[in-house]
Amino acid sequence: MEGYPIELTINGEKICAKAQPEQSLLKFLRENGFTEVKCGCEKGDCGTCTVIMNRKAIKSCITLAMQANGKEILTAKGLEKQALGRKLQESFVKYGAIQCGFCTPGMLMAAKAYLDENPEPNKGEIRNAISGNLCRCTGYKKIVEAIYDVAEENYRVEGDINV
Amino acid sequence: MNQFRYIFPKTKEEILKILEQEKSEACIVAGCSNVLPYIKDKIIPPKLLLDISGIEELNYIKKNEGNLCIGATTTISDLISSKIIREECSVLYQAAEDFADPTVRNRATIGGNLTDASPAADMAIPLLVLDAVLEVESMNGKREIYLKDFFLGPRKTALRDDEMITSIKFKNDPINKQGYFIKLGLRQSMAISVATIALILELEKNKVKDVRIAMGSIAPIPLRLFKTEEFLKSKEINDELLEKAINKVREEVNPISDIRASQEYRRYVSGVLFKRTFEKLTN
Repeated sequence: MEGYPIELTINGEKICAKAQPEQSLLKFLRENGFTEVKCGCEKGDCGTCTVIMNRKAIKSCITLAMQANGKEILTAKGLEKQALGRKLQESFVKYGAIQCGFCTPGMLMAAKAYLDENPEPNKGEIRNAISGNLCRCTGYKKIVEAIYDVAEENYRVEGDINV
Repeated sequence: MNQFRYIFPKTKEEILKILEQEKSEACIVAGCSNVLPYIKDKIIPPKLLLDISGIEELNYIKKNEGNLCIGATTTISDLISSKIIREECSVLYQAAEDFADPTVRNRATIGGNLTDASPAADMAIPLLVLDAVLEVESMNGKREIYLKDFFLGPRKTALRDDEMITSIKFKNDPINKQGYFIKLGLRQSMAISVATIALILELEKNKVKDVRIAMGSIAPIPLRLFKTEEFLKSKEINDELLEKAINKVREEVNPISDIRASQEYRRYVSGVLFKRTFEKLTN
């Protein structure tokens, strides 16, 4: 199939590939090997496909791949390159904030984007920040605690990749 | 044509030219939070996706000659982070805060929410009580449509094939600071509303000087409750008046039953929501 060439940065690396005009960013990412971005409802309800695009958390299933042209994308795999990202991953493990794990990539991305902007939130604000991400194991309490623990430390390190 | 195409114009002029040529073959997209689910469910057949999200001149919140003007591609997050909206237009700010969830708010635009013309469009309700006017443009020029005349039915608007909303404007009145908005959904976030209400109320010596009421999800279109407003005008506020007005609201709404709520419940709760907003603004 023909497509439109797009160029974007994913987890700090430049990627050139073809995208279909009506293709979602979610499908584009998965077809190009970024399967850490999970495919759930595909209509913007569940949030497991959340990625960070130009510093903002967005749902990749309701964003066109074409709209990521020239943008910087961060996925869950890119978190390990970042101090805050690593801290969040470790905290999720420490608090047992993962049951089946399907919502985890989206939860982490929503949390990362939020903490970047709001380093010292309370638990209510954290719940609001992840309110677009569903966990059907209903382990929200531990997820909120895991994010709050990172926030409390107010962990900020220079030299994060700038996404 | 049986394949989608995509174009990313750089100027408003360019969009209008493409709309003139393609008319209903073009589908304007920006945030895509509605469009992509429609494509997936084949509600939108293959078309030209005309992406206006890169047009800087359509993204603004500004004051102009006593009006507050909002560009069509301004996102819901942009509204929330705007000092002008937060401080001078409380009813719109409250509705923006209750809109979907933070990740959808980062993409969804005010123009897209109106053009989609859902009876549950959350931006329409505060904008109706603000007496908003839409600036609509095509290659043939510019015209204005009152928001109250814009919605013709579920997903139907007064927009012609070659037109687009470019701006939303309303009078920057001090009374806008005191509006109140309630969204009733089945959960707090990511909910399509069961019913929404926005109320703006101006009092003079315990009498209703001006009142504007709009409700969502209780009629085929986002609705201004003009009959209830007329009933309330110049009347002295007391419990009896409120009870009568609640009944007027229940007469004026025209809800349906769906998976979220029954017709009977929606009619009943419309009165309850009116009572809550009215008491909030009179106490």
